[in-house]
Amino acid sequence: MKIDQSLPLEYSTQQNQLNILGFWVFIGAEIMLFGTLFAGYFVLVDRTGNGPTGAEIFEITPVLFETFILLTSSFTIGLGIHAMRKGYTKAMIWFYVLTLVLGVVFISFEVYEFMHYIHVGASLQTSAFTAALLTTLGTHGAHVTFGVFWGMFIVYQLIQRGLTPETANKSFIFSLYWHFLDVVWIFIFSFIYLKGMV
Amino acid sequence: MSDLFPMKQVMGFGVSIILTIIAACVYFFNLSFPITMTILLVTAFIQAGLQLVVFMHAGETNDKPAIYTNIYYGLIIALVTIFGTLLCMIWGYI
Repeated sequence: MKIDQSLPLEYSTQQNQLNILGFWVFIGAEIMLFGTLFAGYFVLVDRTGNGPTGAEIFEITPVLFETFILLTSSFTIGLGIHAMRKGYTKAMIWFYVLTLVLGVVFISFEVYEFMHYIHVGASLQTSAFTAALLTTLGTHGAHVTFGVFWGMFIVYQLIQRGLTPETANKSFIFSLYWHFLDVVWIFIFSFIYLKGMV
Repeated sequence: MSDLFPMKQVMGFGVSIILTIIAACVYFFNLSFPITMTILLVTAFIQAGLQLVVFMHAGETNDKPAIYTNIYYGLIIALVTIFGTLLCMIWGYI
C-alpha cells in the first residue's frame, strides 16, 4: 500500500481515491432513482380519488423542524470531516455522534408524520397520490435510517482503530452519503411540501 | 475552538438556512404560482450546489472532471425523466 503523505488521509492510497470516485458514481445513480420517484409523484399528485389532498394533510411545523434538523446534521458532519483533516480524532467522533443523534431525531419526526398521515386516513392504499407520496418520503426515510446504522459502525471503528487511511476513507464516503440525503430532502421540502401547501 | 469551525462551512450553513427561510416564505405569503415555483427552483438548486461544493468537496481532487461529468449526467437523466414523464402523462392532455 503506497501512502501519499501530501494528500488528506482519505485520499492517501489509490484504493481510497477509487473508492471515493466509485461512491460519486453511486450518488449519480441515486440522483436518477429519486428523479424517477419525483416523476411518479408529480404525475400522481392530483390523483387523490376519495382521499385527502396534500394541502389537507401536510403540517408546516414538523416539516420545518425536519428541514432544519437535517440541514444542521449536514453541517455537523461537514465539521467532522474538517476535524478529521486537522487530525482531531476526538472532535471528529463527537461531530459524527451529534450527526447521528440529529439523524435519529429526524427519523422520529418522520415516524410521527407517517402516523399522522395514517391517522387522518392517508395510507399507502388510499389513493395514487398518497401511494406516490409515502413511497417517495419512505425511500428517503429508509436511506436516512440505513445511514444512521452505517454511521454507528463507522463511529465504532473510529473508536477501535483511530484514524487510519481506511477509517478516514470510510468516514469521508459516509459524509458524502449524508450530504446527498440532505440534498434530496431540500427537493422534497420544496417540491412536495411547500408546493403542495401553497 | 475556531479551528473546529471553519469560516467557509459556517457561511455555507448560514446561507442554506437563509435559503430555506426564503423558500418557506412561499407558504406564509400569498404568491402567484409562477413566482412560487421560481423561488422554489432557485433556492433548491442553489442549496444543492452549495452542499456539493462546500460540504462534499466535489472539486478538490484530480477526479473533479469525472465527478462533475457523472453528477451532471445523473442530473440530466433525472430531469429528462421528470419533465419527459410530465410531458407525456399530464401536459400533453391539457
